[in-house]
Amino acid sequence: MLNKIKSVRFVLFLCLFISIIATTISIYYKVTYWGFSFKPKQSTGVWTIEEHISFIPNGDRIKVSITTPEDNNYFKVLDDSIVAPGYVIKTEKNGQKKFVLTSKPREGMQNIYYRIMLYDNEYTKGFVKDTVPPKPKKPQFDSIQAAAAKEIINIVKENNEETDFPEKLINFFNQKPVHPLVASFLPFKISQEDIASTIRDILATEKIPSKIVKGVRLEEGRKSLDPDLLIEAYIRNKWRIYNITNGKRGIPEDFIIFQRGDKGLVDIEGGENSSVQFAVLKSISSSFDLASHRATIADQKTWFDYSVFNLPINEQNIIKWLSIFPLAILIIVIIRNIIGLKTMGTFTPMLIALSLVQTGLISGIISFTIILIIGMLIRGFLSKLNLLLVPRISAVVIFVILIMQFMTIIGHKFNLNIGLSAVFFPIIIMAWIIERASIIWEEDGATNATREIIFSVTTAIITYFVVSNEYIRHITYAFNEINIVILFVVMLLGTYTGYRLLELTRFAPLVKG
Amino acid sequence: MFGWLFNSFVTPSQLREKGVLGMNGRNYNFISKCNKRSLYPLVDNKVITKKLAHEYGVNTPKLIGIIEYQHQAKNLMKMIGEYKEFVIKPAQGSGGRGILVVVSHNGEIFTTASGRTLTYNEVYQHISNILSGLYSLGGRYDDVVIEELVHFSDIFSNFSYQGVPDVRIIVYKGFPAMTMMRLATKMSGGRANLHQGAVGVGLDISTGKALNAVLRDCPVKEHPDTKANLMDLKVPLWREHLEIGSKAYEMTGLGYIGADIVLDRDKGPMMLELNARPGLAIQIANGFGLQKVLKNIDKNYPQNLNAQERVDFVLGKIKL
Repeated sequence: MLNKIKSVRFVLFLCLFISIIATTISIYYKVTYWGFSFKPKQSTGVWTIEEHISFIPNGDRIKVSITTPEDNNYFKVLDDSIVAPGYVIKTEKNGQKKFVLTSKPREGMQNIYYRIMLYDNEYTKGFVKDTVPPKPKKPQFDSIQAAAAKEIINIVKENNEETDFPEKLINFFNQKPVHPLVASFLPFKISQEDIASTIRDILATEKIPSKIVKGVRLEEGRKSLDPDLLIEAYIRNKWRIYNITNGKRGIPEDFIIFQRGDKGLVDIEGGENSSVQFAVLKSISSSFDLASHRATIADQKTWFDYSVFNLPINEQNIIKWLSIFPLAILIIVIIRNIIGLKTMGTFTPMLIALSLVQTGLISGIISFTIILIIGMLIRGFLSKLNLLLVPRISAVVIFVILIMQFMTIIGHKFNLNIGLSAVFFPIIIMAWIIERASIIWEEDGATNATREIIFSVTTAIITYFVVSNEYIRHITYAFNEINIVILFVVMLLGTYTGYRLLELTRFAPLVKG
Repeated sequence: MFGWLFNSFVTPSQLREKGVLGMNGRNYNFISKCNKRSLYPLVDNKVITKKLAHEYGVNTPKLIGIIEYQHQAKNLMKMIGEYKEFVIKPAQGSGGRGILVVVSHNGEIFTTASGRTLTYNEVYQHISNILSGLYSLGGRYDDVVIEELVHFSDIFSNFSYQGVPDVRIIVYKGFPAMTMMRLATKMSGGRANLHQGAVGVGLDISTGKALNAVLRDCPVKEHPDTKANLMDLKVPLWREHLEIGSKAYEMTGLGYIGADIVLDRDKGPMMLELNARPGLAIQIANGFGLQKVLKNIDKNYPQNLNAQERVDFVLGKIKL
């Protein structure tokens, strides 16, 4: 006998253990690859960046390589697409992903659009691998420039000891009015690109390897802009990124990197007069809507196809509602088998609780009480008429409907929520509660009846607080595999042979004598 | 502030030490292990129980008639015939629900044990309610059993407020394990169910003498209505009581069962009904735990004894 319990328990524990592991993996997967969050009503910022590439073909075979942005701490690529009619599109994955578009010679202005959707990536922490770069080549300066460079280095090095060299250097170049030494390098209109390459040259004379980082600053509604630049310098065995406009270290939060290194964002063979411009647009999407996109990118579309999140919204809502039931059932099991409260019917309190979710707690309880009291009064009257059982319960059902209608009308007329909430209670369940309460009242007395009603309502309220919690509802839906864990917990509770909490007081006289 | 809470609770280990059987333990280790589901109808349906009892030579209140269909209800008076007193009960009722005890009638007005008077229509109504399943387990359609009224022994008249006092015996694997007497009170409305407010008096299994008594899970010394000293209670024909309980095992094949036995002043002890899920309050009435007793039966009691021998063993007349 004991062995049998042990083996049943053992099997259930094993199932529970496996289901917990599977669920954990599944949750991890959903969070990492589908971007699900534990918080409800999570909406994620989605950025659409449109890269507009235009050039004039020169009559040769055309080959355009487009560098895709790399994920960073803050953003993850959700979706990308290329609009380039007539081009053969291939992806190349050699380090960073690249699109290679080829076409036979063409005529006229070519327009290629590359669209990327990014979302705020709060979960994955990307990191940049540090590799030791080769020493930079000595820059080609003429004698005047070389002298100026030396002087700039001296001035910068004298300045302020606290910030590091590249930062000081960038600040030196950015000071207003422009320092005369800077003017010797950049005599005319100063573009970001010119500043960047000059800074790199000066860093090279100091034997500091550096790179240009190209990308886009995400800013709502930016249109037709040139790529933004950052400078990456290898200092004290680490690549550090500096903002070229203010010398600040680190990747700006709203910056999305397209390209590290010297190559251009877009490489065009067989074309000239090329230009690359960006447009940025921000939109808000719910986590669930995005999940599908993410699943597509993760090449896991097949899994996603079989998940509830692929259903139409209406069905999703129904499933969201159903997903909370197992937890409610678990609570009922705990209250009955572990605590030992006797309730009216096994799942009646759960059904009341689910109604309370729709009505709101206070108005729901008041309206439930009103229906119950009026219903029991009418039931008392009906019992004097000596009707048969089925017609009598049917009469109670009809009375419940009438009470609900009346309360709703009154509620609407006087703008009372309490009245309006009446319709949310399941009619048949209410009729049975009334019937059962009346029988207990007649058979076991008012005390027993009141106690059982109070226990049932208490159980319903406890269940209500759990199932109405936004976080819990979100989690049981978004991570609905938790319900399998709940299943095994419920089954394990079925082998619990210990005392119920209330038995500790019920049987107390046996101990205290 | 929480002193009362502290005082009214004990720890699980204290209960375990006392060998108290909890609800979960009862359901899992005893009911579901010893009672085959398919055998339940034998005890859930009083008509079947009566027939079985008859086969095994166990005395039960005499069956006057059975009403299975609504149209048969019209024949009530014909069925009753000369009987002036009778009991109407649902065949599959539980917890004493739906039992109507008629002590006298003139064909129009029926007087119940509690002194209430009912019209013929009300009695007819009651039968309809039973038939439609109002008192049965799970609301299934039910039959009406009409049987002879038990005239309980005068010895108990001081101990019960109306109603019929009965002896509840927990029978485990055929051995009477624990016994108590249930006495109706004003609070229980003349019914002998502890949860309705009847008094439970634990009885010494070998003598049938009162050990201890409870009312609503609290110890009492005297009957709340008749003020009789409950400790004076001693059930006569004790061995015969135990034998009926013991035979219930052969009758039903259920390993864990509660047998309700009434003592008729003329016909002796009679089996009233059997229960496959007997309550646990009997432990409080006896003042000790059931688990201990059941474990002892599992371990130390001999098997393959007949009903008589098992009773002898329990009474200490057979030693191993």
